Amino acid sequence: MNADRTDRADEAPRAQAMERAIGLVLRAGVLASSACLALGLAIALVAGEQGAALVLLHTGVILLLITPVARVIVSIGQFASAGDWTFMGLTIVVLVELMASAAAALVFNRRA
Amino acid sequence: MPVVTAVLALQIFLTGAASGSLGALLGLGGGVFLVPLLNLGFGFPFTVAAAISLTTVIATSSSVSAGRAGQQLINMKLGMLLEVATAAGSFLGGITAQLVAQSVLQKLFGFVAGFVAIVMLTRLQRRNVILDPNLDPGVLGGRFYEAESRGVVTYRVKRVPVAVVASFLAGNVSSLLGIGGGIIKVPILNAWCGIPLRAAAATSAFMIGVTATAGAIIYYGRGQLEPALAAAAVLGVQLGSWGGMRFGATAPAKWLKVLMAAVLFLVAGMMFMRGGR
Repeated sequence: MNADRTDRADEAPRAQAMERAIGLVLRAGVLASSACLALGLAIALVAGEQGAALVLLHTGVILLLITPVARVIVSIGQFASAGDWTFMGLTIVVLVELMASAAAALVFNRRA
Repeated sequence: MPVVTAVLALQIFLTGAASGSLGALLGLGGGVFLVPLLNLGFGFPFTVAAAISLTTVIATSSSVSAGRAGQQLINMKLGMLLEVATAAGSFLGGITAQLVAQSVLQKLFGFVAGFVAIVMLTRLQRRNVILDPNLDPGVLGGRFYEAESRGVVTYRVKRVPVAVVASFLAGNVSSLLGIGGGIIKVPILNAWCGIPLRAAAATSAFMIGVTATAGAIIYYGRGQLEPALAAAAVLGVQLGSWGGMRFGATAPAKWLKVLMAAVLFLVAGMMFMRGGR
């Protein structure tokens, strides 16, 4: 019934596990993105900003932008599995706001 | 859009490294140094400078938070709650930045840089910790191991609406000006909302990745993000903040803060002069 009170001893390890999972997502994202950006930049400087260089550079930027989005999605799952509906709801709102930014980006892109 | 040569890429890389290490030494993201260097130093349009800076903010937030994960310094619940406000502020700021003139953005940057300098000189450092690990921290509070107290400390969050409003403003300024916005949130969370400085800084650093993404996506969609320059800056800032964190494990010396405040006043003055034309 009142799980949030009874298993306080449980609370800390669970919070730590949540943090570790999110840390893993962030580290993977930043490493993958940095690798693409470094390789893309190196090729761009040797062969010019075209072809493979551009693909790698844009992939790196998109991976960088997706990393925080991915950690928000992981948090939604974590709050859901903990049965914390209030925070799951708040996290979904954050995701919707990020989607609104992406939608605004598309609108501006068409106008530009 | 500037043409990317090896020399320019190297200059941006070094500029990023300098901004990142200064930022890490002072507990800032470094955007407050990077944007004026790119805008005034390299002559990039303000929005191009802000777009590059926001990508470095995301990278710094991700790698710093990954390194801290598991220490329980990051308050995930408070962070998620406040992200609702920062992401909304950042979304609106990203759109506004497309609609106002560069001179307006420069003046606003000057104002914020002056504010940052004053905060740096008068920074409040309330401890806000309760030395009882068994005390109930409430829904939003937290507990973490604090070396100074040699034990687990507890804190409670007060005045949540103040924290939400501060986060909205921080998000707005973040995407308008290309900075993380931690400099606005952290002092307010520490001074008014009962959060220990280290927990406030860690939570803010965690949040700014999402904040900056909401803004950066808009700049990227608009075609204002030159990916090769962003790559050079991101790699430079990563190296710089890694170095700054290793070197600056202890609290920054007082003279360093004074020196940086002086630099920021100079930046504020230059931005005002440029924006005034």
